[in-house]
Amino acid sequence: MFFRMIKGTLLRQWKKMLMIAFTIALGASLAAAMLSVMFDVGDKVNQELKTYGANITVVPKASSVLNELYEVEGGESTGAYLREDELGKIKTIFWAFNIVDYAPFVNVSGELDDGSEVRVVGSWFNHHMSLPTGEELDAGIAGLRSWWEIESGEWLDEQADENAEIAMIGTALAKKLNLSVGNTLHVKGSAGDKNFRIVGIFDAGGEEDDQIFAPLNPVQALANLDGCIDSIEVSALTTPDNELAERAAKDPSSLTVSQYEIWYCTAYASSICYQIQEVITDSVASPVRQVADSEGAILEKTQLLMILITILSLIGAALGICNLVTASVMERSSEIGLMKAIGAQNGAISGLVLTEIFITAIFGGLIGFFAGFGFAQIIGHTVFGSSIAMTPVVIPIVAILVILVTLAGSIPAIRMLLRLRPAEVLHGGH
Amino acid sequence: MKKRQMYFRMITASLMRRRSRMLVALLSIAIGATVLSGLVTIYYDVPRQMGAQFRNYGANMIFTAKDEKFTLADVQQGVSLIDADAVVGVAPYRYENVRIHESPVVVAGTDINGAQKTSPYWHIEGEWPSADGQILVGASLAENFRLRIGETLEVSYTPSEAQEGQETILDNILEFEITGILDTGGSEEDYLYISLADLEALTEESGSIDIAELSISGGADELSAYADTISNSVSAVNARLVKRVTASETTVLSKLQALVLLVTVVVLALTMICVATTMTAVVTERRKEIGLRKAIGASDSSIIKEFLGESMLLGGLGGILGSVLGFVFAQQVSIHVFSSTISFMPALVPITILVSILVTGLSSLMPIRSATEVDPALVLKGE
Amino acid sequence: MSLLELKNVYKIYGELHALDNVNMKVEKGEWVSIMGPSGSGKSTMMNIIGCMDKPSKGEVLLDGVDISKESAKNLTTIRRDKIGLIFQQFHLVNYLTAVENVMLAQYYHSLPDEKEALEALERVGLADRAKHLPSQLSGGEQQRVCVARALINYPEIILADEPTGNLDEANEEIVVDLFHKLHDEGTTLIVVTHDPEVAEVAQRTVVLRNGRVVKEVINQNFTGKIHFNEEGTHVTKTDLKSEEEIQAEEQANENK
Repeated sequence: MFFRMIKGTLLRQWKKMLMIAFTIALGASLAAAMLSVMFDVGDKVNQELKTYGANITVVPKASSVLNELYEVEGGESTGAYLREDELGKIKTIFWAFNIVDYAPFVNVSGELDDGSEVRVVGSWFNHHMSLPTGEELDAGIAGLRSWWEIESGEWLDEQADENAEIAMIGTALAKKLNLSVGNTLHVKGSAGDKNFRIVGIFDAGGEEDDQIFAPLNPVQALANLDGCIDSIEVSALTTPDNELAERAAKDPSSLTVSQYEIWYCTAYASSICYQIQEVITDSVASPVRQVADSEGAILEKTQLLMILITILSLIGAALGICNLVTASVMERSSEIGLMKAIGAQNGAISGLVLTEIFITAIFGGLIGFFAGFGFAQIIGHTVFGSSIAMTPVVIPIVAILVILVTLAGSIPAIRMLLRLRPAEVLHGGH
Repeated sequence: MKKRQMYFRMITASLMRRRSRMLVALLSIAIGATVLSGLVTIYYDVPRQMGAQFRNYGANMIFTAKDEKFTLADVQQGVSLIDADAVVGVAPYRYENVRIHESPVVVAGTDINGAQKTSPYWHIEGEWPSADGQILVGASLAENFRLRIGETLEVSYTPSEAQEGQETILDNILEFEITGILDTGGSEEDYLYISLADLEALTEESGSIDIAELSISGGADELSAYADTISNSVSAVNARLVKRVTASETTVLSKLQALVLLVTVVVLALTMICVATTMTAVVTERRKEIGLRKAIGASDSSIIKEFLGESMLLGGLGGILGSVLGFVFAQQVSIHVFSSTISFMPALVPITILVSILVTGLSSLMPIRSATEVDPALVLKGE
Repeated sequence: MSLLELKNVYKIYGELHALDNVNMKVEKGEWVSIMGPSGSGKSTMMNIIGCMDKPSKGEVLLDGVDISKESAKNLTTIRRDKIGLIFQQFHLVNYLTAVENVMLAQYYHSLPDEKEALEALERVGLADRAKHLPSQLSGGEQQRVCVARALINYPEIILADEPTGNLDEANEEIVVDLFHKLHDEGTTLIVVTHDPEVAEVAQRTVVLRNGRVVKEVINQNFTGKIHFNEEGTHVTKTDLKSEEEIQAEEQANENK
């Protein structure tokens, strides 16, 4: 009988029920959309901030400071180097997935035909890596120097031939030597010389505009540095630092065992640096503060902003649903009065009405949830060009919100109606 | 009593005496207006507030020499061409080769205060130098030469020519107190930093400036314009944007603004639909009353005018409430997220109220119309 | 000419004849009750007389004008100007006071006049409850406010639908007394009811069954002031002379 009555209401009064379902769907979609965006915006903005380039540098432990100075005076580099064959290990650390891009650097001083000194930098441009995890990655400065404007020619493509003697040169150097794309540049190093064919001229807006960039192998050959790397730049998705991270950065052994685990298992810049040092022999990895600290601040603020906006939307959604649920219960006042008049118990009546409302709420909530997720995707694709990841916790939050608000909207109204005398309800006086 | 007087008496009585029902409707409308006013304020304010955050990345413009070096006067001339409010910091740098502990290093002389503004990400263990005679040491140097905070450091400079009355070239030696160690993860860690005045004293020449770093707030277009003006006006100086900083800032900032815009649109649209359904329910609730009024002689247009009047009054009240709450919300966001306040945008108030009235009115129109079409006899006789 | 006349009125819904060839006349100043069980068609007739519905066939003449051909909009106007309605469920606007509810009827008719509205309330004995909301009034008081509202625009006909249906004995009496008072002032009353006690106090009862008029009962013991003489014109009771008065008159004439 109970189910017959429910079925009866739902079928006969389907228009009214549809209205309730629609409102709940609206509220649920607003909640789902905002929550999904809120949970994912951190990752999205983090990705965007990678345009600033590497936030971690790795240098040999024994590297002398005086490298810079000696370059200026044309001397030779000192002996401490990182090993080129260890480069792949960076993608094996605990936080390998967060390593978005990286590139090795070899700095060699070369002499041009006119006798002038020039800095030649060997690096990866778009070095392809197929990892055992199945991930495919193109690593190199094509990603790490996103702000370079290619004035003529194009980015060097090392996938064509790793050993090709091709190079990109900075705009200042190109102007000074009156070179353009297709010309050959003869460079003499301490252990040999090369004729680099220019494939692209870039404007970096910095000192790199006076330099030559070429693939690793030819540059290493110039100074008999096969297999040697001066430094590695890494671009990683990191979690902004907090007190724990700062303490650990100074000295990881000062943490307790559980603190250590938390730190190691959170993608702080300091823990990623620590893990890189574990796999690259004799290295020192440190965060590039200019990038790492700033992106932390921006990330935090963006997330906080989204949280506050989401809270406002949730309040709005809750009020909207609550209001309409109450109104629809009130509309059924005569029906409730009738049931009471023919002798139904309060509990039975409440149960009936609540069940009907809940069936409608579940229906509306489900539709709303998917609609909301759809809205989130529209936002994600329009702003960031990628999908918003589904954070599982959104589902229970939206569900609880809908349930709580529906209860809050219906119970007081039902109780109020049950307290009225049936005659009042049946005969208006309304 | 005039008809208009009665009209207003009726619609206010409806709102005042049916307080609980109207309050909930008012709340819905107010939320909609709050969302509108609050999110729009935030949308207009995000570029400025977030933009200030991006200055953390440091200098976004540099002055370099066109031919030879340039002077402090040139730097100041260049800076004067920039809107004073937009200048966050200026740091001129002069580099010289010196020796500490018998080893060659490079020292940078700069305006310490300026450097603090143009390089906010410099992590100093200890303190920045605050007076002449103090020195900031890069972390690599500190490690290599085992330098500690509080120690004295002797810096010697070899002049290019002998001084008058001397046969050999003697070094100028100055003592500095190490006040701090600089950690940046970049090449800055390889340098020593002292004030420009100290460097001039050490080298006994007021030399020139090698490079000047500037931190200026503004978009890429504004900065380009400044750079062009300065390069053209100050003969010795070439002003360039630091591409790494400006290009990235433009990209990320525009995405953030797009995010806030889209979020605002989605939330606003959904909230307004909620308001519309609330109003529909409010009107539908009163079908009996509409039937009654028709029975005692109200014409359709009269009923539409009355209920529309009520809705619009409600919309106006909600709009006023929403303007205030929206501003409060935006202000709280600004304070908690950016630690700064926003200025009130007076134009937003009438817009919010107007939109609120429009949405409430338009969404009531259809249910009112359909309610007037119902036969009063049907409404009055039974459910 | 009768104030209201229904000529061969039908109201047909598919197979159902809610009203089946109904003929009825109501004279100015008459107090007529329409009686019948539910389903007899009295609600339908009420709606048609009250200009809230139109017949499928036939004529409805109000003051000589056939209202069955009028548009809905015009019907509203006619209803507003000529008919005062009283319902079974005392439909008052629940957020307006008693006097405001009465003024509402004025508002839609011409101009609201608080003084006149108060006077109307006085006529029904509710002057001291003018500022009360319907929720603060008893059932009988609410109904009386409806009566005052029905009167305010000096309608030609007062049309009451089960006016005492929701009232207890005491309040029922008050309302019926009110009807008497209205009748004595010359108001035309049509009262639709299923309660024989209420129907009986009218001058004439029209009985409906299955959509048809099955009989008309004249109240021989009518206590109101206005009667109908043999010619069918109404005569106020004051015009009628009692037995003693006739005798006294004859006596006076004889003495001349």
